[in-house]
Amino acid sequence: MSLGKFLVRRILQGIFVIWGAITIMFGLRAVSPGDPANLMLAEGATQELVEQVRREEGLDQPIYVQYFDYLQGIVTGDFGYSWQSNREVEAMVIERIPATIELAVAATIVAIVIAIPLGVISATRRNQPSDYGATLFSLLGISTPNFWLGLMLILVLGVWTGVFPTGRRPVGLGEAAMTFAQTGSPGDLFTWLRYITLPALTLGTYFTALITRLTRSGMIDELGKPYVTASRAKGLPNVLVRYKHVLRNTMIPIITVLGLQMGTLMGGAVITETVFNWPGLGLRLIDALDARDWPLMQGIILFIAVAFVVINIVVDGLYSYLNPQVRE
Amino acid sequence: MISDRVKSNLKQTLSESLLPKIGLLLLVSIVLMAIFAPLLATHDPTRTGYYSEQGSEYPPIGHEYTTQVASEGEIAEITVEPTSEHVLGTNNVGQDVYSRFLYGARVSLLVGILGTTMALVIGVPFGLISGYYGGRVDDGLMRIADTMLAFPALVLALALIGVFGESPVMVPDPFVMAGLADGMPESIPIPGTVTIVVALVTWVWFARVARGEALSIRNEEYVKAARSFGTSNRTILLKHVLPNSLTPIIVLASIQVATIILIEASLAYLGFSGTTLSWGYEIERGQDVLRTRPWVAMIPGIGIVLAVISINLLGDWFRDALDPNIEGEAR
Repeated sequence: MSLGKFLVRRILQGIFVIWGAITIMFGLRAVSPGDPANLMLAEGATQELVEQVRREEGLDQPIYVQYFDYLQGIVTGDFGYSWQSNREVEAMVIERIPATIELAVAATIVAIVIAIPLGVISATRRNQPSDYGATLFSLLGISTPNFWLGLMLILVLGVWTGVFPTGRRPVGLGEAAMTFAQTGSPGDLFTWLRYITLPALTLGTYFTALITRLTRSGMIDELGKPYVTASRAKGLPNVLVRYKHVLRNTMIPIITVLGLQMGTLMGGAVITETVFNWPGLGLRLIDALDARDWPLMQGIILFIAVAFVVINIVVDGLYSYLNPQVRE
Repeated sequence: MISDRVKSNLKQTLSESLLPKIGLLLLVSIVLMAIFAPLLATHDPTRTGYYSEQGSEYPPIGHEYTTQVASEGEIAEITVEPTSEHVLGTNNVGQDVYSRFLYGARVSLLVGILGTTMALVIGVPFGLISGYYGGRVDDGLMRIADTMLAFPALVLALALIGVFGESPVMVPDPFVMAGLADGMPESIPIPGTVTIVVALVTWVWFARVARGEALSIRNEEYVKAARSFGTSNRTILLKHVLPNSLTPIIVLASIQVATIILIEASLAYLGFSGTTLSWGYEIERGQDVLRTRPWVAMIPGIGIVLAVISINLLGDWFRDALDPNIEGEAR
């Protein structure tokens, strides 16, 4: 199968999955207890007002009509209005995306920068103190709930030593970059960096641990393969063999696992944003859930599902490009 | 079902390496702690130390550690640092941190084990049927599984709890019923909805692993032979396919207990739990007093980390002993 054909098939599958996700969300709303009209209105609203809202929202229609209206709305990009603030859901989702992406990217960078060297050291110095240290670290990393880790980082690096600030960030990357472009003063950028460090460490630790484990076991496998012995016998320097060939082959399975773990990253972002009061999508999702604000909640969850499906298609494409055998 | 070869592999791995020993020791301690919580606890974990003059919300009767009296209409907060009376201090509503630590183990382990069992019961038949029959059945079932996987587990769990609420199930305490632990709560709340929800968001992993096994087993000679004798598909699934796919399922189950404990703690931290005895809930409460009483958030977190580490170590041990070829990172 060619790469193009493979991708087309994956995209069709992805569309089917997204349709399924939309249907699940609709089903959840349909079975949820409580009349939405009552939730939308203040307590003590008159019966006429409730009826009027039901008509306006199409809640008096048969369920299949509501379903097709709902599908139509989503296809045309209309996710409705938040019950709490009466603002457009699309706008409320879009304005929160940058903060979440900043956090997710920062966490991924933290993970890759720490984990790959750690995994390589661990694999090449097996059963030495540095290997034990890395193993212990990765065991702790995959076993620590990130909300607790976040609080402990706030406690130690924020409250006790005051190295990093602990409140809500005063400035986003976009504004900070603007200020820098206009005035040439990097002050805001530094502030941004100081505020993102602890959240990025919190969200990134699980992935750092995971990638360290994968790099270690992958490198150990690869180092035992005949081509390594052959390259060494040919006289290639160890460094070249390790970093150019072995590490490269180790990366392929790591990319797949990272793709599969994007869901964990997104779930982790929801929690991390709550701990640090980080103004991203996750924090807004929790607010929407607390208020039982259905349109907003659905909008955010569907956005996350679509993002997740798209990321997985990209990862699959990347993987099959690197390793054509999976297309068979 | 568990052959002698498997048993000897398990024993050998255990005697050869240190980590499985640590994991086993830790897990046994935590399980004992959870079972005997009412005997080990020094205080009723649910009894608050609030004192309200009006006494409506927090009745003051029998609060031996209510030492301050608030002025009219005001609520006094009685929190103490670790002392001989409260070895780990009290939380922001005056409850004993040590006793709550013990009871938290009960909630975590029960949700972990029950949730995993439910996920297994849904996922394994689903996967076995999908893999064994193949073709259209497989396509249809796997699309359902893919759709479930389109949601990050925690996000789907949040959506489900948003819909179904968070009702706790009161489980009576055998020790108190037998009169062995006076003064302890007669029953403890276990988060019922959360247990079902964590099963609903994790069964897909069992389905995937079971499907993979069924796919390879259905082409084995003995299955073909059974089929040629006219053995029904149901019998083949139960007698041949299921027993032979158990190994990776057991490995996955052990890891899933840890994953589910983490999901439960996260949900409780986010305020969607249904029980105030959860470690995650306690950490959320400790966040408010992080600056002044850091131990409130610190202690339950240590509980989660130790429980999850011990289970992960055991999972690694099973994996190494049973089947070195399977990936351990299915979460």
